[in-house]
Amino acid sequence: MTGLVRSELRKALTTKMAWGMPLAQFVLAAVFAAITGGFLLFVDIPGADGTPIPARELFEDGVLARMTYTGGLQVGYLLALVLGILAMGSEYRHKTLTATFLAEPRRGRVVAAKVVGLSVVVVLNGLAHLAGAVVGGGIMLLLADVPLFPDAGDLAGVMLRLLLVLVLWGLMGLGLGVLLPNQVVALFVGVAFAFLIEPLLSFGITFVDALADAARFFPSQASTAALSVFEGVDPATAQNMGFNPDQLDWWAAALTLLVYAAVMTAVGWVLTRRRDVA
Amino acid sequence: MTDAPREGTGISARGLTKTFGPLRAVDNLTFEVRPGRVTGFLGPNGAGKTTTLRMLLGLIRPTSGEALIGGRRYADIDRPMQVVGSALEATGFHPGRSGRDHLRVLAATHGIPDSRVDELLELVGIPAAARKRAGAYSMGMRQRLGLAAGLLGDPQVLLLDEPANGLDPEGIRWMRGFLRHLAQDEGRTVVVSSHLLSEVEQTVDDVVIIANGHLVREGTMDELHGDPAVLVRTRDASALADALVRSGLAVQPEGPAALRVQTGDLARVGDVALAAGQPVYELRALRTDLERLFLDLTEAPEHSNRNRLPEEIDR
Repeated sequence: MTGLVRSELRKALTTKMAWGMPLAQFVLAAVFAAITGGFLLFVDIPGADGTPIPARELFEDGVLARMTYTGGLQVGYLLALVLGILAMGSEYRHKTLTATFLAEPRRGRVVAAKVVGLSVVVVLNGLAHLAGAVVGGGIMLLLADVPLFPDAGDLAGVMLRLLLVLVLWGLMGLGLGVLLPNQVVALFVGVAFAFLIEPLLSFGITFVDALADAARFFPSQASTAALSVFEGVDPATAQNMGFNPDQLDWWAAALTLLVYAAVMTAVGWVLTRRRDVA
Repeated sequence: MTDAPREGTGISARGLTKTFGPLRAVDNLTFEVRPGRVTGFLGPNGAGKTTTLRMLLGLIRPTSGEALIGGRRYADIDRPMQVVGSALEATGFHPGRSGRDHLRVLAATHGIPDSRVDELLELVGIPAAARKRAGAYSMGMRQRLGLAAGLLGDPQVLLLDEPANGLDPEGIRWMRGFLRHLAQDEGRTVVVSSHLLSEVEQTVDDVVIIANGHLVREGTMDELHGDPAVLVRTRDASALADALVRSGLAVQPEGPAALRVQTGDLARVGDVALAAGQPVYELRALRTDLERLFLDLTEAPEHSNRNRLPEEIDR
């Protein structure tokens, strides 16, 4: 089994994705953290009563830092999803699956090795993401004279949970990559779903009372909730900023994502075991 | 570097059948590959060769029947790369990964060291190119890399799917010599598929010929050649025929002034002619036209391709 995991890691580390993806994570996290920080620290937003006030007066420093550093969450999990799709999709696309299954015909073990290998790779990419977020967001915090790490313990917890969220999105991508063996289609569907359809849908149904509860369990909202981004924020303000104020506890949100990841991985496992490789 | 069994690893297909929807790509195929010999697995494009090889290797699940290598299904073989090596298609490389890294990825699954990878790259003759992206490889380099991948675990059995495809004449000659080396010098069991009998006739000991998913001929190359015969041309054919029959040889007329003699012994025919006082104008061994035979076998009406979709069957 360690041999299989090492094989998967070698796959991940011997193409351009090995440095291209962490670079993208670093740069995009830096940009989004800087934009989020800039918005929070230097722009007026509608307060609870609707009158515009500087955002930083609404939040404690700890909340400001937390929101700034997690500004790239969406793009981060999107890239993790892409990594997951590629882990399987590229084997179909380049027909390397044949060699993979000849080396280990017990396909369940191959999927297990991919789960472990992908998790390691996503964590490495996640560290690049966090480094980018601290650089990009940190510049804004410095410019606004807010301490870089106002509550170090809280921030460390948030960052660890961000890594967990990325890994779970990666596993969702792994399953999707098996479900749709055409890699281009899988990437298109995955990105369209995660970036457009799901957030719009989940934002849309927050305005429908009967369904508002369900939106909390959508992957994007569960991801935000898993990081406790809005902990200590006035619910009305959160809603004004476009977020569902009624979020899951972080552990419930993480568990929700875990269920999605487990279901998608199981789908991938079943299909991988049954399919002919031609 | 392996303690996998070195002796007696043969292959047997028993009633192997695969249907894709209405199409019977492989139909109740039963054959044996004897250990320590080179077997040509032959048939026209679309005959089901690749599908059969993929069933042998557990990549395609048979609709019915079973395929055993050394008595076991491929999926039941522990550390399979040390028992069976295969080169199935030349396209199975990530274009952005170097050939050497492709091999290292596979080597990792069996704990095979990088030194073995480099040794094989040297053996197949692409040590320098192997550090470049596989996307830039020529067909010949892909074939060589595929072969190196098959040999990584030093397996006793090798399955090679159209290994000469896309090779230039020099590459084909190299491949022939290499296969002979693997089989004769190293005693491995080698199965090599081809849609051309002439491509492998100098290399193989045995043949398994299929057409339209059916077995049409199985046996040794000698059996395929049939009984040896000699053509002799002379002045008085009937006088020579009498002399040959008297010496115990079977004779048929072959045109006005020539005879077909059922023997492989040219000297004996010449001696009889000399003793009978008949001049010899031509004396040569008659070779079976194998290509003709192959076409007759694979294009016989009963094997006519009732559902021929070559692209889909033999990808």
